[in-house]
Amino acid sequence: MNAVEAKHLSKAFGIRKAVDDVSFELPEGAFLSIFGSNGAGKTTLLRVLSTLARPSDGQAFIYGIDLKEDPDKARECIGMISHASMLYPDLTAEENLLLYAELYGVDDPKARVSQLLDAVGLSHRRLDQVRTFSRGMTQRVSIARALVHDPRVVFLDEPYSGLDPHAVEIFDNLIESVRGDRTFVMVSHDLAKGFGMCTHALVMSRGRVVSFAPKDQLDYDEFARLYRETVGMGVA
Amino acid sequence: MARPSTLSHFATLLRKDLRQEFRTREMLTSMGIYALLVIIVYGAALALTARGIDIANMGGGLLWVLIVFTSLLGLGRSFAHEKEQGCMEGIMLVPLDRSVIFLAKAVSNILFILVVEVIAVPLFYFFFMTGQPVAPTLPAIIAPLLVGTIGMAGIGTILSTITMNTRSKDVLLAVLFIPLIYPLLYACVTATTAAITGTELWTDLFVMPLVLACGYDVVMLLVCWVLYDFVVSA
Repeated sequence: MNAVEAKHLSKAFGIRKAVDDVSFELPEGAFLSIFGSNGAGKTTLLRVLSTLARPSDGQAFIYGIDLKEDPDKARECIGMISHASMLYPDLTAEENLLLYAELYGVDDPKARVSQLLDAVGLSHRRLDQVRTFSRGMTQRVSIARALVHDPRVVFLDEPYSGLDPHAVEIFDNLIESVRGDRTFVMVSHDLAKGFGMCTHALVMSRGRVVSFAPKDQLDYDEFARLYRETVGMGVA
Repeated sequence: MARPSTLSHFATLLRKDLRQEFRTREMLTSMGIYALLVIIVYGAALALTARGIDIANMGGGLLWVLIVFTSLLGLGRSFAHEKEQGCMEGIMLVPLDRSVIFLAKAVSNILFILVVEVIAVPLFYFFFMTGQPVAPTLPAIIAPLLVGTIGMAGIGTILSTITMNTRSKDVLLAVLFIPLIYPLLYACVTATTAAITGTELWTDLFVMPLVLACGYDVVMLLVCWVLYDFVVSA
């Protein structure tokens, strides 16, 4: 069974189609990097796949669950890390994670939160308000938040924005350590990094898929040329 | 991992809102200071005319002006934390009934407005009503205050959700809020004034408006509850 599947998926805002007839299949354990210029529809596609936005047309599935028919069931399998941390700045790291753990109905939430804070190396700051954290530390707590219910599919929406090189390295190591057989879908502007991490690559322009292929079928130079041409096509 | 009940989701979200507010005191402080400032303005406005007018008959209206504008200030800020850092989206990713988000936020707003009322109403009485003869029905103002606060917080919560991502959200919230609460406000002012003055037409001027206000609350809260999923998803 495919972990993520889109069938003729579209999302329109008024007469403008932000996502237009997108189709692809992603097997379990894959890492899909989505590339494209600003306004290409990458984030909108991610929002539709993560149930934050309803598709205007077409279908999307997470492990065979139709997002239109049973979004709550699909949400049990989904985690999301974005450039916004989705953490309450005035609550502590532990309170934030406990909040999400309780909302998801995690068994023994305190133990799970403690385990995740250990994993992201922030146990010693668990009682500090997130407001006092650096951007890199906040993003580490955000990873813990996204994984609190042990999701099978994780969406990453430009997770590197605002991170310094050291924080990027820590972030990469953390993602690698939690990868396992999880499926990742990442929106990125960083071609080298996105291509390096992925097993599948997708290029979008003006809401449409220009290219979708497993990485082992792609040559990086050829792909980079295609990407530059696509980005050169400009905003829809 | 079993999906928690709706009640459990409600309790978790309400606890989060209360913890956050009692840690930052942003809403309570701004509403409290605003209420105090309105009372000071009333003091200046009524200073020269107080001898010639019957303040008891105006008391209900003045009190509700204070409550409406103070509540409006708090309601406008009630989703500030949710918008910051995309927290609302984090909650929306959780498999829960979206109406629970409304219910938890509305209840927390009711509690915060009530806390401010507990301070502002005695202050209002102290500054403007102490020279007036006290009607034995005065304690009955608690009923319209409670009913009005519940309705205002419910309507204000859904409007605050609608306007939170708009550019001029404060103006838009006020423009939508005042007309929608007008029937409730009218009923509550009538009932409050009746309780303050101790009118002989108790059924007509207190009981009936209060029943109408309760009915308005029930209808509007049900509409808000049903529409909330659509509002947050749109």
